[in-house]
Amino acid sequence: MKKHYIIFAGLVMVGILYPQMFPGYLSVAITLLLYAGWATAWDILGGWAGQVSLGHASFVGLGAYFVAVGTAHHEIAPWWSILMALVAAAMLAYLWGRLTFKLKGPYFTLSTIAIAEIFRLIAINEGWLTGGATGVFIMTLPEPFGLDLFSRQVNYYLALAFAAITVLVVMLISCSKFGYQLRAVREDEDSAMASGINPTTVKLKAFMLSGALTALGGGIYAIFLSFIEPHIIFYLLLSVQIALTAIIGGRGTIWGPCVGALLIVGSGEIFRTTFAEANMLIYGLLIMVVVIFMPRGIVGEPARYLIRRVYAKRAQG
Amino acid sequence: MPSALKADGITVSFGGVVAVNDVSLDVEQGKILGLIGPNGAGKTTLFNALTGFVTPQAGRIYLHGNEITRLPPYMRTRVGIGRTFQTERPFEELTLLENVLVAAFLKEPKRKKAEQLAMDVLEKVGLADRYDQPALDLNLARRRRLELAKALAVQPSVLFLDEMMAGLNPPALKEMIEFVRRLTDQNLTIVMVEHIMEAIIELSDHVIVMANGSVITEGLPRDVIEDPRVITAYLGED
Amino acid sequence: MFDYVSFLQNLSNGVLIGGVYALIGVGLTLVFGVMKIINFAHGDFVILGMYCAVLLNSLLGWDPYLSLLVAMPLGFVAGALLQRLVLSRLMEAPPESSLLVTLGLALVIGNILLLTFGAEPKSVNVSYASSTVSLGEVSFSMILLLAGLATMVVIAGLYTVLNHTELGRAIRATADNRLGAELVGINTRWIEAVVFGIGMALAVTAGVVLIPLLFATPTFSGAIFTLKAFVVTVLGGLGNIGAAIAGGLLLGVVEVMGASYLTSDYRDAYGLLVFLLILLLRPEGLFGKTVKRV
Repeated sequence: MKKHYIIFAGLVMVGILYPQMFPGYLSVAITLLLYAGWATAWDILGGWAGQVSLGHASFVGLGAYFVAVGTAHHEIAPWWSILMALVAAAMLAYLWGRLTFKLKGPYFTLSTIAIAEIFRLIAINEGWLTGGATGVFIMTLPEPFGLDLFSRQVNYYLALAFAAITVLVVMLISCSKFGYQLRAVREDEDSAMASGINPTTVKLKAFMLSGALTALGGGIYAIFLSFIEPHIIFYLLLSVQIALTAIIGGRGTIWGPCVGALLIVGSGEIFRTTFAEANMLIYGLLIMVVVIFMPRGIVGEPARYLIRRVYAKRAQG
Repeated sequence: MPSALKADGITVSFGGVVAVNDVSLDVEQGKILGLIGPNGAGKTTLFNALTGFVTPQAGRIYLHGNEITRLPPYMRTRVGIGRTFQTERPFEELTLLENVLVAAFLKEPKRKKAEQLAMDVLEKVGLADRYDQPALDLNLARRRRLELAKALAVQPSVLFLDEMMAGLNPPALKEMIEFVRRLTDQNLTIVMVEHIMEAIIELSDHVIVMANGSVITEGLPRDVIEDPRVITAYLGED
Repeated sequence: MFDYVSFLQNLSNGVLIGGVYALIGVGLTLVFGVMKIINFAHGDFVILGMYCAVLLNSLLGWDPYLSLLVAMPLGFVAGALLQRLVLSRLMEAPPESSLLVTLGLALVIGNILLLTFGAEPKSVNVSYASSTVSLGEVSFSMILLLAGLATMVVIAGLYTVLNHTELGRAIRATADNRLGAELVGINTRWIEAVVFGIGMALAVTAGVVLIPLLFATPTFSGAIFTLKAFVVTVLGGLGNIGAAIAGGLLLGVVEVMGASYLTSDYRDAYGLLVFLLILLLRPEGLFGKTVKRV
């Protein structure tokens, strides 16, 4: 575990210094950090608790809309609206989970798509609440401590903070009682119950935490874009991107989702000119290769191989 | 001795088929109850009703005098029931220590203490030297012992063992019997479903024989296996 | 005063469009019944069919229905190959693996279409696009009528194959009890390839039938059709073909009725709501048996 904290500290250092080294590439880095954070947050539910959701765009949308509508229509400072979004997201996740956690495996996944689609339709059609299909512009933002929240630099540090908080939360969970309860529920619910664990409660907690963290990223995303529209922010493909980033990197691992984000955002940059708008092609190809050849993901598969090998060696000698 | 586990008139049916029909039992603290019967007799269903994994249509269950009939499985574990599964279910992605740790957290929420408890239990079942091995690669005898360790780590007062002996080779069987016997020295009450007669005879204080969902006879192990009704139930009428 | 004419008009439109939904749903449910996998790329197969008709129309001036001659066999072969080369590798994998791989496949298909045809919506103009047939005061759009007719023919054909041929018997046996089918000498791996081929051919057919009616867009509409196919199959019960047909008709009617009597803004939501309700209220009943392991 100690080595994870050392890696974490090192990465945060690099993250802090990055804008000084590559001031011209801030937008890519912001995208990378947001996806790393979202995928890590998704993984609390999808990887550690084993409930694959394809509806997490709802939480991005919730966070983004609270911030955008809050500043544009009600003059609420973004930090207050993000706080409200966190509470709202946790409540939404609670109700959502209560409703759907009796569904198993693929059926749970299908229900998340349906619910997220309904939210998208609400965001498009209920203009009085959301600004409708045209979306919402953020024209003015307060300047806490004289910081310009529109500047790329500030956006970057917000995204860095988001990614770091999310990874830190997962690191803390991974060796806690809750972390083991999550893994037990993922592996075998009956066996977990025989150990005194209530699977529904554990999954609900995971969903609430996952949803709230995702909404936090959504709020920062809104500030970064300063213009949000429901077609993008509530879109099924965003849910798919978040989930696939984590799965490709490695479900239920600390660094898998971050590696997934690096790989996907990175290759997206490299192939941007080649594939133009067909950037999801990379996701499609990668997820097929990963699920077929390395089902535990790019980080998970070698890690597991190493552990088993080390043990086999020790057993012999 | 006071009653540890008591069941009154347990009846379970699945879509009109009665799997367990009006079964009652009473186990004293520190004793071992053996549950035997031919395949399809309803032993496992009764077992699951007692541990909460199946809801009985009628009857009441008491643990140390407190009714637990309506409690879900995880609540029963919290009030003192431990169980193993017939087909062992280790958390395959976790190491042995982590497997037991999951259960140990129930009584010891602090990681350090829980780890100590888990290690003690692994020591007890003889798996301590493999504590950091992934559970996926275990052989059958060790999987059984891990299953037992998980059940013991919740520190139960009544332990349910579901066919722990099946498929073990003679030395492993002897070891397991010895181990289970030692458990009752610590005042643990045990209910076991078993096909291996050797284990039933050596361990049980009391045996219940089931066939077609009902109790056909019960008593001391030696008396029960010589009962002609039991022989008929196992071998058929003619 | 209740307007019977417009009610009947809506009902007939709902039933006809529902027939096409049924065609999409039947393919999905057949694949699920035999292979127990959830095919997320099914909607993109529909889109492939649409683009096949678009391509043949723009190159050779073919009528969409003529292009079925090419699209159906091509869909069958492509489906069978996909099953043999990709999906057969997932037999032992956890249940959501097939969902993820077919999701990947959906993204690949959509984005390759995007690279090939561009993002702007495409359609095929047919001479009978605006002609109608009247029955009393209710008028039927020619395109919808043809679509409904084609659906009936294809489903009747499928029914005949499944119930009156040796191949159909083998497919039903495999869906019923895989091991049992293998024991009596059925090559279930081959059956799976055939079934996935049939599923894809049905989806492609639905796409061709829909092209005079709808625009084809490469990446967006695939997911919508997949969702509709799921709605259809869940309405009826996964793995049950007769029920999928009923589910398709029901979805068509619910959508058209909801759009005209409630609000058309939520046209796509009505089906999803029904989908959720059924999933939540009757999951076992509609998805077949979920056996509780103890």
